[in-house]
Amino acid sequence: MTPHPPKAGPIRCLLGMLGTDVHTKGIRTLAQLLRDRGVEVIYLGEHNTAQGMVSAILAEDVDVVGLSFSTATYVHYTRVLLDAMRAAGVDDVPVMLGGLIHRDDEAELKSIGVKGIFGPGSTTDQIMQFLESITGKSLSHVRDSLA
Amino acid sequence: MTASPDLPASAIADAIAAVRRGDIRASARLISRIEAMDQSVRPLLRALYFEGARTPVLGITGPPGAGKSTLVDQLICRYRARALKVAVLAVDPASPFSGGAILGDRVRMGRHNTDAGVFIRSMSARGVLGGLARAAADCLVVLDAMGFDVILVETVGVGQNEIDIMRHAHSVLIVQTPAAGDAVQAVKAGILEIGDVFAVNKADTPGADRAAAALREAVEFRYDAHDLTAWHPPVLQVQANADAGLDALMAALDRHRSHLTAHPAQLRGRLLRGARLQVAELVAVALRRRYLLDDHRDARLTRMLDEVVERRCDPYGAAERLLDGGP
Repeated sequence: MTPHPPKAGPIRCLLGMLGTDVHTKGIRTLAQLLRDRGVEVIYLGEHNTAQGMVSAILAEDVDVVGLSFSTATYVHYTRVLLDAMRAAGVDDVPVMLGGLIHRDDEAELKSIGVKGIFGPGSTTDQIMQFLESITGKSLSHVRDSLA
Repeated sequence: MTASPDLPASAIADAIAAVRRGDIRASARLISRIEAMDQSVRPLLRALYFEGARTPVLGITGPPGAGKSTLVDQLICRYRARALKVAVLAVDPASPFSGGAILGDRVRMGRHNTDAGVFIRSMSARGVLGGLARAAADCLVVLDAMGFDVILVETVGVGQNEIDIMRHAHSVLIVQTPAAGDAVQAVKAGILEIGDVFAVNKADTPGADRAAAALREAVEFRYDAHDLTAWHPPVLQVQANADAGLDALMAALDRHRSHLTAHPAQLRGRLLRGARLQVAELVAVALRRRYLLDDHRDARLTRMLDEVVERRCDPYGAAERLLDGGP
């Protein structure tokens, strides 16, 4: 066990969908993959509002937020969420996107504050590396402590 | 475990003030530190314990898929209709292999996300250090001090840990389904002892009447009709997703609350059992920490272990000597 880990505890990751998007296959798959890597996924499912998601971010004290989109409205909804997060003072929590994100939109998404984009072809390892580096939490530490 | 430096007195006072005025982010972060068994929050928890207004705690447990979260969602609506502020601690199981978890209780309670009078926190049964019962009890200290009018604690009633949490509740609601099996299952499940109110959910499915009757028979068997002060646990049928039977359920929960008020000795007995469990848990965690996890191991223990390995002392005697504080 590391005597002074940078941050203790498992990575807490909020996963959810905004708006009318109902394609949950991807986000549910990711939820299971992350769980199998030791992440605590707070799963919100679909049909969330930005305000509702912000409340969950606050109450669950998550380290990172993951959104999944399969419809073309993702720039709009992501902007609405980031604005709501800023208004509530939780814009320090990083947001990542997954799903059908077009390459042409990546620059704009990054410019409004999205920290990670994982479209088709992304691997679990890439997402895990991103999560560990952006949260400053080590998953091996969690496993050792639980043993 | 995080070895953080002790908080200065002013920081503790600020943190107490933040929790008392219901600051969600400060309280949520405190709960995270509780889960990580951050020892520096101990002075804060000690102070918060005295801030608690003794908010009524309702425990809800039952097998996976019984409809606990859906029922909690409906209960929140009922309490909100009474203009009561509600806190929910939702404990979900975790993977025994990775330690990870999918905490999905919020999916059923999504409509309350935008209600400032509702605070929902998910907890992984394994993601916490120092035991789930310890973490849940500490978390209840925080929720109690935050000034909610009612606290709901939801667990999956399959393990000792989850059952132990129910010892901290003033009322315990057991949720079952018609598919839970016959009367023998109800008896051996080990949940009859802790339930104050029983709800057979999914009352629209075939077999609901039989399941309720079987459960009622098992509950009645335990009930002492000669003790006029004893609480008589009701068995109700509900259909949580259709909001059916909720009025009767709320009435039963209210009746149990009134019963405890009318019989303070029973409430006190309940609180004493909770306190005993909490103190015993804290001692167990401290011992485990001292003998298994601390980097600095004491010389006496090292010497004793040498003796055990060399068969000059047996592990049973060593444990007794440690507990007696002997050499």
